Amino acid sequence: MKAETHKVARLHAMLWGIFSLGGMIAAFLLPVLIYMTAIAYPFSLWPFSGSRDPSFLVTGHLLGALFIFVTIAGSLYHGIFRFQSALTEVGLLKYRRALEAVGYFIIFVGIIVLAYYLVTWYLNGTIR
Amino acid sequence: MVVLDALNYIKAEIDGSLTYRWSCRMGVCGSCGANIDGEPKLTCASFLHDFKGRTITVEPMTNFPVIKDLVVDMEDFMEKLVKIKPWIIREKETAPEQGEYKQSVQQLERYSQFSSCINCMLCYAACPIYGLNEKFLGPAATALAYRYIEDSRDQGKDVRFPIVHEMEGAWECTLVGECSVVCPKGVDPMLAIQKTKILGATNAIKSLLMPRGGR
Amino acid sequence: MEDNERYTMYMVREWTSLFVALYSLIFIYGLSLWAMGSRADFLNFLKNPAIVGFSLIALVFTMYHAATWFYLLGAIAPVKIGRSRTKPWQALVLNLILLVIVSYLAIWLLVLR
Repeated sequence: MKAETHKVARLHAMLWGIFSLGGMIAAFLLPVLIYMTAIAYPFSLWPFSGSRDPSFLVTGHLLGALFIFVTIAGSLYHGIFRFQSALTEVGLLKYRRALEAVGYFIIFVGIIVLAYYLVTWYLNGTIR
Repeated sequence: MVVLDALNYIKAEIDGSLTYRWSCRMGVCGSCGANIDGEPKLTCASFLHDFKGRTITVEPMTNFPVIKDLVVDMEDFMEKLVKIKPWIIREKETAPEQGEYKQSVQQLERYSQFSSCINCMLCYAACPIYGLNEKFLGPAATALAYRYIEDSRDQGKDVRFPIVHEMEGAWECTLVGECSVVCPKGVDPMLAIQKTKILGATNAIKSLLMPRGGR
Repeated sequence: MEDNERYTMYMVREWTSLFVALYSLIFIYGLSLWAMGSRADFLNFLKNPAIVGFSLIALVFTMYHAATWFYLLGAIAPVKIGRSRTKPWQALVLNLILLVIVSYLAIWLLVLR
């Protein structure tokens, strides 16, 4: 039997680990965020039936800003990672490298932009 | 009566050239895999009364090159089985006089489910990822590798991890789950692959945090 | 494909990820309207009927993701109770209840306090 070399895909293993974490986040935290922004606020339902609005999630407390960051970053990562693998399954396998590059780029930019806004708001006092 | 009986009847009475694999006719040898109405099944385990009144289509298993009729080329599968070194690997063998390697019931239970594989290849026929990428290690081979990784008598993690944790190893799997659905012996290769991935991810993080120590 | 129906369901499950990713990107875009404009821009964006419509669809798919994710958790990490193991549908029910609790806690902690 010819000698084969096998390289542990360590980076991919870690990326998969983050993807799994993102899946947990998307499952447990994303529904309530979408509920708040797309149902409760537009239709004036609990908890936004009074004067509060979703921007309070960011300005009200650092915890809220963290919640937004974790939920959106985690969901973005998970969604892109999985979608890119779904695309390779519908016959785009040979474009895998390109799809991965585009995917990780979108994730990177998205998370950097999100972090930038939240950190700026924290530093200028918008987030209490 | 099972589909295998029907195949034997056809070969005996209608077309003697019909070619197919079979042996034990009771679901333990893994020889008689085929696609029956599109589903990978053992012909000896597919009862005709389940198809009452219908005409069924029996085809060679998907994702394998066909040699003749229902006989498929198993070469790739056999290579993968051997690749993961399906035997106990010891750093140091103890002499036979010292007795057997003892194992508790709990230790056995960690891997016994995955040792039930009869190498029937139905899981490969069912796996769309294998269909797209022949390099994918696949359900049975990964489950078998995991069987040895989890065996307390085995000390071959260093040998097997690179094989299951390379890109074409467990990572190609996207949890379609068809492998476990079609497995006739309840091996649940999907579970084995997932556990392998979790091992890979925790190992990768450990190697990041403890580059010299952690195993 | 062997069983088209199951494979289609698998494909739907995987493609829910597109909506999860898109909602996240759209949310970040909404925040950028606030960052580069005013808070009102963000709030008006949330009230935009197209955004509400898309978000509702995203919510349906996110719930489908959550349900299939919980089921998969049950399949790959069964808990041993005595001699028997938990079944995936039990993990699904348990985690859905957990989701409701976590969601309520999130609203309570982040909005109502």
